[in-house]
Amino acid sequence: MELKLRSANNVQILELAGRFDTYTAGEVRQWIEEAAAKEPANIVVNLQGVDFVDSTALATLVQGVKNCRQLNGDLRLCGVQQSVRMVFELTRLDRFFEVYSQETEAVKAFAN
Amino acid sequence: MLTTILANQQHQIEALAEDWLSAGATSFSIWSDDLPLKIWPQNSYLGNDPLIQEIKVDAIKVGELRVTGLNSKPDQERLQAQANLLAQIARLERDLNSMAVDLIDTQDQLLALYELTQATRNFLEIDQTLARLALETTRLLKVEGAFFLVEMGDRPPIIEYFPHPILEDDVQQNYIDALVASNHGFLCRRIVEEENVLGEVKDSNLRNILLVPINVRNAQLAVFGLLNKLDGEFTSPDIKLARAVAEFTGAQIENVIMYQLNMEQAKLKTEMDLAKRIQDHLIPQNQPRVEGIDLWASSRSASQVGGDFYDFIMRRDQPFTFSVGDISGKGIPAALLMAMTRTVIRTKTNVVMMPSPELILRRTNEELYDDFTELSMFATVFVGQYHPEKRQLLYANAGHSPVIYCPMNGKARLLQADGMPVGIMPISLSEDHSLNFGPGDLLVVATDGFSEARNRDGKEFGYDELTALVQTLVDLPAYSLAKRLHQIVEQFSGGEPQSDDQTLVVLKGV
Repeated sequence: MELKLRSANNVQILELAGRFDTYTAGEVRQWIEEAAAKEPANIVVNLQGVDFVDSTALATLVQGVKNCRQLNGDLRLCGVQQSVRMVFELTRLDRFFEVYSQETEAVKAFAN
Repeated sequence: MLTTILANQQHQIEALAEDWLSAGATSFSIWSDDLPLKIWPQNSYLGNDPLIQEIKVDAIKVGELRVTGLNSKPDQERLQAQANLLAQIARLERDLNSMAVDLIDTQDQLLALYELTQATRNFLEIDQTLARLALETTRLLKVEGAFFLVEMGDRPPIIEYFPHPILEDDVQQNYIDALVASNHGFLCRRIVEEENVLGEVKDSNLRNILLVPINVRNAQLAVFGLLNKLDGEFTSPDIKLARAVAEFTGAQIENVIMYQLNMEQAKLKTEMDLAKRIQDHLIPQNQPRVEGIDLWASSRSASQVGGDFYDFIMRRDQPFTFSVGDISGKGIPAALLMAMTRTVIRTKTNVVMMPSPELILRRTNEELYDDFTELSMFATVFVGQYHPEKRQLLYANAGHSPVIYCPMNGKARLLQADGMPVGIMPISLSEDHSLNFGPGDLLVVATDGFSEARNRDGKEFGYDELTALVQTLVDLPAYSLAKRLHQIVEQFSGGEPQSDDQTLVVLKGV
């Protein structure tokens, strides 16, 4: 899996590509933990290149949201592919995450 | 040396003497250390002014040839040629001797290594092995003491001495540093009193030292040291033997590590087998008989232990309640939380009078939320309850799928969850829903190990396909339906290893 990091408007952005699963989640968890420790803990995870997520990947993102929200920040998602979107819907985690179609929208939403 | 040649080459040397005598010489003799070893003819008078020719081996005089009664230049040259020939024979003799000594040394080394092998074969710990090797090499190499130092991975360094440490730690470290810094395969130092220094550190206990590196895979540092040779200095055979011991030690350490690894794996496997037995015991051993329902459940875990579970709760004063769940993640962590979640659901069901599925899930989430958050995990859980008097199935679903319902003569459909999995939010959003559950109605509660099974091309079986498949099997009894689902998904995977647990509860109204 590939990880690309950047930031915009005080929001840290993590762009992922490939399979996001038990075997690759460790690296993402570490990055999110570090990013979520800094205020403002505002993170956007761009899943545009991710074609598969398993339960460990979902748990990693859930934990990221919990960590950010503790510091009054948030972790938001964007670019969710149809196959991954279905997993979020089936588990009803779509009710937990704020999901945007575009990265710019997700970043912009933090300003409001 | 010449005495040996005289004995071994007697006939040839006598022929030389006879040649000289027949050429007119009054005597021919061989000398060593200014004394005649042999004179021809015997007891002859050794006259004055003999021709003398030194026999030299590698520029060192080992003896002389003398001839009396002749003194021409050709005679002198002839005598010189014969002295050179004898020197050559002496040289060959010496080389032969040293080869014989080497051979004996080699044999001694082999014997010594054999003894070491015998002495250490029964030790299964590195420190025990090294302690025994230190003892044996002290005896074999006739030294005052020996030590082994091995630094490997994240274990604490292992150091073994026999009979006790001779050097101060910092002095020893200086010598080891010198060994590492030099590119030689060993470090051999003879310490004379004035030179009793290496770096800044002195040690009066040390007369001589021999250090040899040990070759061990993945070791940062491994050294074998011998201190104070008892009968003098370290010789070339000592160094050879020490290197052979170091090589043997390296192989022995690797053997021990390999053995320990195998033992650890065997131990782990035993523990995993035990965990698997415990987990198997946590899911119902028998299919319960519930009036109005044909019921079958089964579970196949992908790894030895898994995070899927199902459970049946039967109490005389309560409707039949069942749960199916899937813990996020895999292996032991998922299995531990599976056991915990199953127990909490069971407890919450038993402590409340007539608890609805929604209440069971709510209480379960309240109980587990903190732990799940702490551990970055969650569980999807489906709880169902059969009410025979109304022929109704009540259920609540915390993020669990696939759940497929197919009414008698109707179309199979996926029942979407309304609540999030247990452990996501402190509150539960799952509500109670009811299904008609008369004869011929079918409910299949599976885990995503079915819908997300993959074939060789990486294609997923899919939720829609699973729903369509259930539709085709709707006429089968619960047991046969469950068996066919397992079979068909297995065929689809085409021998690809099962990547997730597959759990199934099938209920059919009768």
